[in-house]
Amino acid sequence: MRIPILKLQNYLLISIQIDLDDQSAIQFQEDLLNKIHKSGATGVVIDLTSVDIIDSFIAKVLGDVVTMSDLMGARVVLTGIQPAVAMTLIELGIHMQDVQTALDLEQGLIKLRQELEG
Amino acid sequence: MPKRVDKIIMENSDVIIKHWLEIVSERRKNDYTSSISEELFQSTNREFVNVIFDSLETKGLTDELEAFSERLVNLGWPLSYLTDGLQTFRRVTIDFVLSQHDQIDTDFFSVILDRVDSWVDPIINKLVNEYSGNWEHTVSLQRVALQELSAPLIPVMRNITIMPLIGTIDTERAKLIMENLLDGVIKHNAEVVLIDITGVPVVDTMVAHHIIQAAEAVRLIGSTCILVGIRPEIAQTIVNLGIDLGKFPTKSSLRKGFETALELTGRTIHREKKKEKIVENIMASLEKE
Repeated sequence: MRIPILKLQNYLLISIQIDLDDQSAIQFQEDLLNKIHKSGATGVVIDLTSVDIIDSFIAKVLGDVVTMSDLMGARVVLTGIQPAVAMTLIELGIHMQDVQTALDLEQGLIKLRQELEG
Repeated sequence: MPKRVDKIIMENSDVIIKHWLEIVSERRKNDYTSSISEELFQSTNREFVNVIFDSLETKGLTDELEAFSERLVNLGWPLSYLTDGLQTFRRVTIDFVLSQHDQIDTDFFSVILDRVDSWVDPIINKLVNEYSGNWEHTVSLQRVALQELSAPLIPVMRNITIMPLIGTIDTERAKLIMENLLDGVIKHNAEVVLIDITGVPVVDTMVAHHIIQAAEAVRLIGSTCILVGIRPEIAQTIVNLGIDLGKFPTKSSLRKGFETALELTGRTIHREKKKEKIVENIMASLEKE
């Protein structure tokens, strides 16, 4: 199953609403990078509100996607990470140091705009 | 033969009681119950001994025993008063029964011991159970109370929340703190959350580790965590232990942390200059005249 990627002006919005498996995570990574390349987007918001489980592989893929997008000139913000997910990630020792986060989609867009314009 | 022992004890209960009361009163002088008034002590002793004899007559535990132990527990009488009292009672009774016979063979001796033990032991067990049950109940109540107090979260302003921590932090509590913190951040939609450790007496590597973990988790869900209330001695321990707190902002006091939080949420404190204006108005009106 593919994850839809929506374009809004020069931002890309992605709401992940399924529990990612390894295959779909890799697929998502490719789709997103292609989309950035095609649309020339400068900001990406990945919303994880409805994701209940993130394992170490998915966390690594997400971290990679952020770095890759950065290389292509698009800033990424992860939003809506659930408390339980955050706790699991911390317990696994995954700190995602270089990743920007925000509470929800709205805050994420505000953060992106601040970074891109300010 | 056991019947005979019972009979001797029942018939001479007055003598045994008198003897027991003497010993207990004698022992009382240098003992934990010395703060209790003489009158209360005597009446409790009499009641105690009556309860013991009641349970001999009925061959088992009585309601009186239950009521008696419950009252003593509530009054806070020391458990050792009861156990000492019963042990003394056992000794007095055996001594008395033995003194009634000139010649004693081992069989008879063991019958006496058996008889008195089977009478006194259930009472001791009952009382000890009653006391320990009461203590366990108290401990569990206190544990619940402690849990309620352990990780409070106060939303002071829109998007700013404070968690004041008081007392030592162990692993169990750290987990609770993390859960409450993250759930609270989501619930109050807090952009900035301040963790105040003014009331935490010791910050060692473990406590620091837990706090860092909580702060990291807060960052992951998209909020900012500021650690405030770092006292000079805590700053020294943190550096001496080689703990790296450089990844997230720290402030010495809640006031400074709050100012930073206001800055982060795009707000400033503005003081109205009413008083000065009034003085200026007065001055102006004076100049006109």
